[in-house]
Amino acid sequence: MTNNSCLDRRHPYHLVDPSPWPITLSFASVPTTVGGVLAFHSIRAGGLLLGSGLGMLLYTLFLWWRDVIRESTYAGLHSACVHQGHRYGFLMFIASEVMFFIAFFWAFFHSALGPAVESGAIWPPHGLMVPDPWGIPFLNTLILLGSGASVTWAHHALFAGSEKAAVNALAVTIWLALLFVLLQAMEYRDAPFTMSDGIYGSTFFVATGFHGVHVIIGTIFLICCAIRHYLGHFTPTHHFGFEAAAWYWHFVDVVWLFLFVSIYWWGGH
Amino acid sequence: IKTAPFDIRFPSTNQTKHCYTRYIEFHKCQKERGEGAPECQKYARYYRSLCPSEWIERWNEQRADGVFCGPY
Repeated sequence: MTNNSCLDRRHPYHLVDPSPWPITLSFASVPTTVGGVLAFHSIRAGGLLLGSGLGMLLYTLFLWWRDVIRESTYAGLHSACVHQGHRYGFLMFIASEVMFFIAFFWAFFHSALGPAVESGAIWPPHGLMVPDPWGIPFLNTLILLGSGASVTWAHHALFAGSEKAAVNALAVTIWLALLFVLLQAMEYRDAPFTMSDGIYGSTFFVATGFHGVHVIIGTIFLICCAIRHYLGHFTPTHHFGFEAAAWYWHFVDVVWLFLFVSIYWWGGH
Repeated sequence: IKTAPFDIRFPSTNQTKHCYTRYIEFHKCQKERGEGAPECQKYARYYRSLCPSEWIERWNEQRADGVFCGPY
């Protein structure tokens, strides 16, 4: 791994050692995507291929990020300069995710603002029992807003060096996140319409579905932060992993607010 | 020979919504003023000018089957 010449480098950047994880990740993407497409076309082998591909993908990500933790927390290679680069990089990643969601909101508004004559030129289309926004969706809004507050609480506790408070605040955030996921899963199970129910079904489930995936990813990220904090990886001045998780969580919250206002409230009866 | 007048609600080249709206207005008029009311005939002339006949036939069939999506 690293040797003495690394400390003689006379620059603050981190030139990473060669790693097998990037190419492993790309190999793992092949069964994931091929299996996914097969599964969408109801071919039996698809499910198995998709599952094993996802397993490989997740394990590779674990190994890759474990190496990042080894390089940063244990080997100290993340200087202030590297830290700044990560901040910009992660913000740009979130910006790309925003663009991703803009695509699905565009699709929704394209169909909802000028509803097709074939389905009665009204939105929501005739005959669809759409969710009452002031039921579970509103509760979910409050849950996410609350979890945004608790993750900020955890951040301030980290700044102040109050480790116990930070653990508690992270725990509250994670419980709220899991509650959101549970409630959305119940809404999906009990929905009287499916993704195949016309353009309403398509736009509803693609937008809320991708949001749900992002919530799950954000929850896993927060759980990893909780574990790392418990192991003492974070200091009051250097805890970028936590900050990235908190930014991602706020992004997920904001996307939900847009979903609630546009699709559930404006797009409902 | 006359056709449907310009309707400021539908200024663009695509007149699909214009055709559909006149068709709905005809049936709304019929529902409110009774079948065969003379005021409704102008809407009927408008939609017959604007709409492709295949669409009118399809919508009339849907009405007969009770599965027409529109509000009237």
